[in-house]
Amino acid sequence: MSDSLNSSDKKELWKSLQDYNNDPESLKFKHNEFLEEVTEKFDPEKISGISRRKFLALLSASAALTATACTNYRNKGEIIPYNNRPEEVFPGTANYYASTCNGCGQACGILIKTREGRPIKIDGNPDHPINQGKICAKGQAGILNLYDPERLHNPLYNSKIVSWKKIDDEIIPSLNETLTNGNEIAVVTGLITSPTTKKVLDDFVVKYPNTKIYSHTLLNDEQRRNAWYECYGTYDYPAVKFDEANIILALDADFLGNEGNYIENMRKYAAKREVVGKTDFNRLYVAEGRMSTTGMMADYRISLSPTKQYQFVMTLINELIKNGSAFSLDASARSKVEKFQSSFLNSSEKEKISHLINDLNANRGKAIIYAGDTLPKEVHISVNLLNEVLGNIELYDYSSASKSLVKQSTQQEVSKLVDSMKNGKVGVVVQFDCNPVFSLPEDYGYLSALKKVKTVISLTEAENESSAAGNYTLPINHPFESWGDANVRSGVYSLQQPVISPIFNTRQKESILLTWISGDSNSYQENFYHQYLMNNFNATIYTKKNPLADTKTFWYSALNDGVVLFNELSQRAKFNLNAFSASKEISSVTDYTVHLTESYFIGDGKFSNNGWLQETPHPVSKVTWDNYASISPKLAKQLSVEMNDVVEVKVNGKSLTLPVLVQPGVDHNTINIEFGYGRTVVGNVGKDIGFNAITLMSKNYSSSPFIYENVSIKKVNGTHKLASTQEHHSLDDTFVKDIHRTRKIIQEGTVEKYKKESNFLHEGKEKLFSITNEHQYTGHKWAMAIDLNKCTSCGGCVTACNVENNVPVVGKDQVLNGREMQWMRIDRYYSGTPDEPIISNQPMLCQHCDNAPCENVCPVNATNHSPDGLNQMVYNRCVGTRYCSNNCPYKVRRFNFFNFRDHFADAYYENDLTSLVHNPEVTVRSRGVMEKCTFCVQRIMEARSNAIRDGKELKGTDVVTACQQACPTTAITFGDANDPDSLVSKLREHDLSYHVLEELNVKPNVTYIAKLRNTHHSQEIL
Amino acid sequence: MSTVDYTRELSVLEAKPALRELDDLISKPIETKPNKKFYIALSITLSMLSLLVIGLGLTFYFGIGMWGNNNPVGWAFDIVNFVFWVGIGHAGTLISAILFLFRQKWRTGIARFAEGMTIFAVMTAGLFPLIHLGRPWLAGYLFPYPSQNSIWVNFTSPLLWDVFAVSTYFTVSLIFWYVGLVPDFATLREKTNHKFKKIIYSVFSLGWRFSNRHWQNYEMVYLILAGFATPLVLSVHTIVSFDFAVSIIPGWHTTIFPPYFVAGAVFSGFAMVQNVLIIVRKIFNYEHIITLDTLEKMNKVILLTGSMVGYGYAMEFFIAWYSGVEAEQFTFLNRALGPYAWAFWIMISCNVLLPQLFWIKKNRRTIPVMFAIAVFINVGMWFERFVIIVTSLSRDFLPSSWAYYKPTLVDGMILIGSFGFFFTWILLFVKALPVVSMAEVKAVVDGAQPSHKEL
Repeated sequence: MSDSLNSSDKKELWKSLQDYNNDPESLKFKHNEFLEEVTEKFDPEKISGISRRKFLALLSASAALTATACTNYRNKGEIIPYNNRPEEVFPGTANYYASTCNGCGQACGILIKTREGRPIKIDGNPDHPINQGKICAKGQAGILNLYDPERLHNPLYNSKIVSWKKIDDEIIPSLNETLTNGNEIAVVTGLITSPTTKKVLDDFVVKYPNTKIYSHTLLNDEQRRNAWYECYGTYDYPAVKFDEANIILALDADFLGNEGNYIENMRKYAAKREVVGKTDFNRLYVAEGRMSTTGMMADYRISLSPTKQYQFVMTLINELIKNGSAFSLDASARSKVEKFQSSFLNSSEKEKISHLINDLNANRGKAIIYAGDTLPKEVHISVNLLNEVLGNIELYDYSSASKSLVKQSTQQEVSKLVDSMKNGKVGVVVQFDCNPVFSLPEDYGYLSALKKVKTVISLTEAENESSAAGNYTLPINHPFESWGDANVRSGVYSLQQPVISPIFNTRQKESILLTWISGDSNSYQENFYHQYLMNNFNATIYTKKNPLADTKTFWYSALNDGVVLFNELSQRAKFNLNAFSASKEISSVTDYTVHLTESYFIGDGKFSNNGWLQETPHPVSKVTWDNYASISPKLAKQLSVEMNDVVEVKVNGKSLTLPVLVQPGVDHNTINIEFGYGRTVVGNVGKDIGFNAITLMSKNYSSSPFIYENVSIKKVNGTHKLASTQEHHSLDDTFVKDIHRTRKIIQEGTVEKYKKESNFLHEGKEKLFSITNEHQYTGHKWAMAIDLNKCTSCGGCVTACNVENNVPVVGKDQVLNGREMQWMRIDRYYSGTPDEPIISNQPMLCQHCDNAPCENVCPVNATNHSPDGLNQMVYNRCVGTRYCSNNCPYKVRRFNFFNFRDHFADAYYENDLTSLVHNPEVTVRSRGVMEKCTFCVQRIMEARSNAIRDGKELKGTDVVTACQQACPTTAITFGDANDPDSLVSKLREHDLSYHVLEELNVKPNVTYIAKLRNTHHSQEIL
Repeated sequence: MSTVDYTRELSVLEAKPALRELDDLISKPIETKPNKKFYIALSITLSMLSLLVIGLGLTFYFGIGMWGNNNPVGWAFDIVNFVFWVGIGHAGTLISAILFLFRQKWRTGIARFAEGMTIFAVMTAGLFPLIHLGRPWLAGYLFPYPSQNSIWVNFTSPLLWDVFAVSTYFTVSLIFWYVGLVPDFATLREKTNHKFKKIIYSVFSLGWRFSNRHWQNYEMVYLILAGFATPLVLSVHTIVSFDFAVSIIPGWHTTIFPPYFVAGAVFSGFAMVQNVLIIVRKIFNYEHIITLDTLEKMNKVILLTGSMVGYGYAMEFFIAWYSGVEAEQFTFLNRALGPYAWAFWIMISCNVLLPQLFWIKKNRRTIPVMFAIAVFINVGMWFERFVIIVTSLSRDFLPSSWAYYKPTLVDGMILIGSFGFFFTWILLFVKALPVVSMAEVKAVVDGAQPSHKEL
């Protein structure tokens, strides 16, 4: 370049002729790009007195200062932005994916809300025909299990980390070895809800023909299924149209609590508890020994030992066939029935029973008798007959039958397996996502037999009793990391899709089997099962549905909807009377009976390590973190025990020592214990929580595996504190009795009374006025209405609120101290007598009072009122005087006595993984700060910004609070009270509406709709 | 019975000590080195104080959860202690200001000490509003300062009124106390030979030269300050009672609270003054200055205020019944019969029943008896606050949220520690400053008054 002067080459590019001719003047210009005077004479030192050195020093100093000023001493960790934004992911915007819940066998459709790629909330899938947008507490809290740091991170061989490849390389030969030895491969599974998983298992059997599949779940509907099979020749029993029944008789059936698809049942039940429009109530009779959620809802509750249910049903049949029968009984059946003379009709419950018989007579074809899953097969057969007699079979919904994909293994099958294990005839046991060591009764001897098996492989999410007894422990994906499908109801096929890539070194459980089926450890691919599922989908569902779309489009649309529906009407069969005639008679016993039922929240122990569920108060007793022997006040008096005293329950030589809870309404001879507790090999949260009631179970039960007679119970020394969120006042303590009635916290009526004078609640009520000019709400005014007719106390709203609002788990010790943090609670009040209590439930949350007493006492203005009627809580401003909480008449404010995230279970919560569960829209509160329900202000804000974006007016119905969204019975309504057309403002004006503690004139914005009891008389109960 | 001439003014001091003797006697503890007993006493109070330090350390590090407070019972030992100590702080100003205005000469022997006690009690009380906060490091939010966020304190909150009332009370009491001390500082300045002490006393005596003009101004200032302090005596505990009276919780929402709290405060304050003075007069041989007559008069005030408190208790029950409000009625029945009945009956027996013994003159003049009664009164008054705060909160409107409160070890440490804090200050006070006003006592010695009256 420098020698361009000498170059005389012809230029290809030239600016001017001078340039072309290499004119020296133009070259000079070229060298000095800038005009003279600028470049030559530019001297920075002349412009400013700052030397270059000083300038640089100042620059670096100011940069350093700025940097220091902008930094925060707190380590906020790394924030890594997306290099390439993934498709569909908009930071700050949630994505929803349709999937299927794996919490229990009901396989409800769910919508998983994800934010920036991480799942944060589970809601029901509105397109799913069974659960219709609702999901239970277990399903919602399942999200915490995904972020459980105690899930297995790596495959283990005898507790040592090994690679998947090495595991596969070892297992495949040992599977083949059993083939050559002629030994058995036993695959033990839990409940299988997925047709494709079943196909994988079938493929496995094809590859390894010496395989036998066993299925065992602790609480199952086998008694119902077997009864149905005997009566109607099919295991698939139809759903019940509770929404069309005028009379429902539940026999120890917690169909509103935890039996069957209780989400569906609750919705259907509540359909006949509607007070807006015409009041066409059903009437619920419950005969039960324990006190269940369903029992709390009963209009008439008969306390009856589970051993007397058979007699009771037979007596009913005997009484009811006198008025004719829709089903003709032959002579032998008739004589069998007639043996049961009306002993019940003279009992203390005779009035209720005569009402029941009259109602059943009057509502033939419009009533349903429903027996519980824990009752013996024989009771179910009689109940089936009774429904036939009354013509109630019209209420069976054959288009929605409960299917059985893999039948529960019988007692004989499991015993045989244990025998062959003991005899060394079993080479490999694969525990396929189940926990048989915990859930099988001890007298099977499964655990000791397992030790005789050379290769025991457990596929599990977290270490459990069964995996600890085996040698290979293979971690499987959480359901939210997995593909899957489900078909538990006829005509409903739902898909499950992963919403996050596996967090740990885990594999899809079916893929593990597929690898072994392929026989080659290198064949594993991450989309192994994904492909398999799609192929199976195309082969079965696609062909069955035969849509116009091509396979890919159909697959994606199915994935989008989460569910594929098709017509699958199961045939209505004729009742086989022989089943009834041949069924054995169950004699009633008069001694103590243990009735084992499933825990409402931790299931069969599956959710033991889930703090949210452990801390959700029991719907009836409000006890958290424990199970107990629930006994009647009379029995407690006999044993001279009180709550927290310890008793020893003995059944056939097996004994269990556990605390007592005196439960009003429990039958005198019935001891109700929930199982699922007492896990020994489980994470930090669930360890040593509760008492293992399975130890009382036996493989040789007399009629039902859940009911044991000849029980002895005695007081033993010691106490065990039960952490209840509500104090237990004895019901006959006149000092505190019925305060909820005298204070009008609970206001109730009867349907009869309401029909006669609909305004009975407000008659003679003084109108309260204000002495000041009150603030006028001209724009929106947020308000909630809770219909107590519909609330079953299921706890779905409590969990929804926990998940949505980052409510911390505090642990048993803090619940004992009365420091639980749940923003929403369901209060339970007893009236009546200890033997026949009347129970009222009331969801209680911040009432967002117009004249909020909390607001004026806060010295720092940390709690104040928004123009749209919200009682706000400013966490940053709160200094924690707790004055607001003291002055809250509803005591709904919650104080962070500790940093509950690092206090609970030795900072179990405070880890990088679990903190991912937090909803990023809601502040995580620190210690020393007061908090409470916000009416889901983040959702209001989101709806508002959406309305602004779309240029529309914000409607009250645009906002759905978390509790409202979760409520299976739509008892909770939220909206704009200033919108006269909104449902919430109609409910506020409803004849049955009232406010709790009205006379304080704090003007709450949560309106309660008084409960109406559908009894035969019009006198007020409360 | 012989007739007694009630118009005759009794001499305040027994015997007729020389003025110089009084100076020497009163300044003796200051001028002599502390003895072993003092150090033993100090080590006890310091050990108690260290419990406070540990208790607070645990609380600050882990949170309020270290205490027994729970969901319905948001306030417990923290505010009980606060109200208790504010109450103790009432006697001082009452004695020095109100009794001064009423020309009650017998107050002179005890006024200084009572004022000192007021200041230390208010200091102790002042700890609690700060430490009861969930986030004590943000206590500054309680003061109205121009915040960047334009957030002002909430003037409708009684807790904020507390901040103003207590800080005003403390300031005025301190000034009042100091003004009273000025002539004594001058006396001490004159007496001491120690160079260092001389400088300190000179500074604090503000150039006092016992001149007539000084005395004249002093008397005027003292009178004005007494006028200032008098309404404060009534206002502070009135405002403290507003913390409860302004709320809507049954058992708190009571219009009788202001007078009843003031009476209770005077009651407990006098009991505490009487207790401590009995020890002081014994140790320092002030029996003739703080005479049995004075103590008897204090016991009479105790009897009066105790009966007022008892009337308050009775009135609460009556009004609860009379109001017809079920929640109110339940709260009071619950106090007497509910799970905290034991606390209620401790309160009744200590505050209402025991002081009735003071109707008997012999009890009023027997030191061990009056000492024991006053101790019980302080126990009872502590329990009064416990009953008001804890029982009302533990069972309020909704039975579903009722819960029983149980204090923890840390609660106990802080309670004991607050006594340690208070008594440490008292001990330092008795060795550093004259616990009896030399100037005022000299003015009430027989013959010190102008006697131009015709006999």
